Amino acid sequence: MIATLLLLHVVVCATLAIAGRRWGRLSLLIAAVPPAAATIWAVSRLGSDEPAHAHLAWVDTLDVAMTFHVDDFVEIMTLIVSGIGVGVFVYAYGYFNDKDTSVGRFAATLLAFSTAMLGLVWSDSVWSLFVFWELTSVTSFLLVGHKNTNPEALLSARRALMVTGGGGLALLAGLLLVSQSAGATLLSEIGPAEGTSVTVGAVLVMVAAATKSAQVPFHAWLPGAMVAPTPVSAYLHSATMVKAGVVLVAVMGPAFSAIGAWKALGLIFGITSVIWGAVGALRQRDAKLILAWGTVSQLGLLITLFSVGNPKATLAAVTLLVSHALFKGALFLIVGEVDVRAGTRDIEQLGGLARTMPGTFAAAMLAGLSMAGVPPLLGFVAKETAIEAVLALNGAEMWLVGAGVIGGSVLTVAYTMRLLIGMFGSGPTTPLAAQHGALSAPSRILALAGVVGYFALGPLEELIAPAAERLAAESVGNLYRWPGLTLGLWISVAVVVLGSIAGLVACRLRLSVPAGWAAGVTDTAVDFTLVSGRWLCARLQHGSLPVYLVTMATTLALAAIPFVIHIGSGSDSFDHLIWWHSPLQAVMALAVVASSLALAAVATRLGAGIALGAAGLSVAALFVIHGAADLALTQLLVEAAIVVGFVLAFGHLSRSFPPVGLRWRAVRMAVAGLGGAAVVIGLVAASHEPVAVPPLDEMVTQAAEIGGGNNVVNVILTDIRALDTLGEVFVLAIVALGVLALARTSRQDEKNQAEDTAQPTALQSTTGSPALETAVTESGSQ
Amino acid sequence: MSAALLLVVGGLTAVGLYFLTGRSLSRIVLGYSLLGHAAVVSLILAGGGAGEAPIAGQAAPQDMSNPLPQALTLTAIVISFGLTLFLLALAKRQRVLSGDDLVEDDIEDRRIADHDATSATASSDAEIQASATADRP
Repeated sequence: MIATLLLLHVVVCATLAIAGRRWGRLSLLIAAVPPAAATIWAVSRLGSDEPAHAHLAWVDTLDVAMTFHVDDFVEIMTLIVSGIGVGVFVYAYGYFNDKDTSVGRFAATLLAFSTAMLGLVWSDSVWSLFVFWELTSVTSFLLVGHKNTNPEALLSARRALMVTGGGGLALLAGLLLVSQSAGATLLSEIGPAEGTSVTVGAVLVMVAAATKSAQVPFHAWLPGAMVAPTPVSAYLHSATMVKAGVVLVAVMGPAFSAIGAWKALGLIFGITSVIWGAVGALRQRDAKLILAWGTVSQLGLLITLFSVGNPKATLAAVTLLVSHALFKGALFLIVGEVDVRAGTRDIEQLGGLARTMPGTFAAAMLAGLSMAGVPPLLGFVAKETAIEAVLALNGAEMWLVGAGVIGGSVLTVAYTMRLLIGMFGSGPTTPLAAQHGALSAPSRILALAGVVGYFALGPLEELIAPAAERLAAESVGNLYRWPGLTLGLWISVAVVVLGSIAGLVACRLRLSVPAGWAAGVTDTAVDFTLVSGRWLCARLQHGSLPVYLVTMATTLALAAIPFVIHIGSGSDSFDHLIWWHSPLQAVMALAVVASSLALAAVATRLGAGIALGAAGLSVAALFVIHGAADLALTQLLVEAAIVVGFVLAFGHLSRSFPPVGLRWRAVRMAVAGLGGAAVVIGLVAASHEPVAVPPLDEMVTQAAEIGGGNNVVNVILTDIRALDTLGEVFVLAIVALGVLALARTSRQDEKNQAEDTAQPTALQSTTGSPALETAVTESGSQ
Repeated sequence: MSAALLLVVGGLTAVGLYFLTGRSLSRIVLGYSLLGHAAVVSLILAGGGAGEAPIAGQAAPQDMSNPLPQALTLTAIVISFGLTLFLLALAKRQRVLSGDDLVEDDIEDRRIADHDATSATASSDAEIQASATADRP
């Protein structure tokens, strides 16, 4: 079923990508079908204890597979991703108008994101997790940059991609380290572990989670991403994609619980973000940016609670995960609705909407109060549980986490007050455009769900508690609609009172919008990455073949370093190394080296031909000494042909080779020398491995019996490798044809050339060879 | 393993790489040919020590050199011969077309490198903004 659902998503997505342009807004409703199917599937599975599995083989031999696993926790995420997805698609139907031609593209991309997000939460194998993780980054990039003529959208999209994509690389490295040391590639099989590589892996995974979930100091991309159309902000940047980091922390938490660095880093990211995000939200004027900064804060709270790792905190986190998706989704959709109808999102300009948009006001109150943690709403339950979890901690941890949770809650109440008063409170009434049903219905449903969730806490608990138990691996206790007159309740009352006062003060103060240092720092880092990437590209893709080859030869030389280290470690004996098999071999070896050096030194082409012949003949002599008569014969023939060919092709060219710049020549010599040394070192290191003793007796007898020949080499070539030899003949035939064709056209061109000599071609004039030779010399010497 | 043959492999590789990194096409062909020799000798070197030719009746089997790498190497010699000839023909054609035997730069790559080198110093933000405004209808 899992595979079928994913396939349905992909098929609809591909169809929309092709035909969406013609269908216009209708494509948004079509795109809602796969998420609706996934929601129905998830609902139908509620209450079943058996997790769903799917396994798609990918590269079996490397143990790389797409493995999916849907348990109680994943089910909640499925409901959030697909359930809110359906609402967002319906909302987008009202949000866009029919004149917009980019709707088809939007629907296809948003559905692609939905697919990637489902794949991400369903993934059990580290490979599929990484692939879908990156896919969500890429689709987020496309959606943030949806208005592709708006420079600000493009910059924000790039920033989001660089931060979350960079985090994806950290995730890959971290997952590889962890799965390597755990010996398992399935998340469900990676057990608690310790050790240096696991610690490094865990830290990398936490950094990846922090980039995706926009934790301070990686948070700047999230407010920037608010240039996207509101459905995108509501869906990706509050309800689902930014939760991916939280989900990762939740799922990996049990395996890393023993690692101090994991927990410490999670708490640092989380608590800093809770406070800093809420402060940011208090200082913004754009309603959407208030919500975005609020999301940073709430995600920080989630990461904090999951990092604490005790059962109560996990229960609070899962409850908050659900309630946040409901209230933040609703608030985003409401802000979008206000934006479409009133034409602005600035809370200083908006006002009096409580009278003119009563339905929207009611929904915003429900969602906002749920965010502030006021009963009778689901957000209250989540906050109460979080405070109880804090009170269950001891010592410094209690004070630290408590400061984050309670301080964050106070600030949350404050910015919620400011948002609601700013949009709906007294002030000049903003004129409104006509209403669209599709634009308002989803936010009403999401906001009401917060109330229903509070009163139907029993059934909801059956959903949340098993999920938290699966993460905490022990009993997590119960959720309470009303905690009684406990310390937790009094703290909650204090939070609301303090927060309201702060909110009212903030409304009066008209705080200035901050300059956004984090965005500046992020942009500098992004720019630096891009500039250095271009610099490297300009150096590597230089355009000159010699430079490419020098780069490759240098790489070859560097590849010998492990061999050098291995030999240097002295673990191998080199007794099998001898100076020579016979003195004659040494003499001929010197002859080969001498003639090839002469080849390098000789300045004329005729001399080069002679030296080439000498080198080839010496190699043939080495074959004779080695006992390889057939090789020697072949080598003699081949060498003769090549020397003749060389003289024919180049004999009547200008007598000497063109001059070469001295410094460039020195670079080439050094690189060539190192390359030669690298090959020798590699051979020496490899020669330590024992060579199987060839069954010579057997070979000789079999050659006579089966092949009917005395020459073993010939029998191997014509009998055992007959097909290879046939292929070789074909290769030679094709080469002969090619050479013939090239030679014939050359003659034709020579005639044409003679006629055209008066007009040199553009190609020649732009790449005048002496100038280029200097260019290469310069670049080589740099 | 014979140090003399190792010297041959190292020397041929070094001179071959030296030629290959040059700009003269005819010397690139020479370098290619030398690298071919180096590969062939290293195959033989890896296949065992020297001995008598592996021909039945000429020597006792235990004195023979290993015939298997020889059979494999023979193919290598022939194929590298074919490629060398083809390179020679290409080099000759290049000489006829341009009057010299120098490898020219890839103009497209060159353009990319120049473009990147100049834009790497300029602010990339400004560049994106400029191109975005240019795209606007």
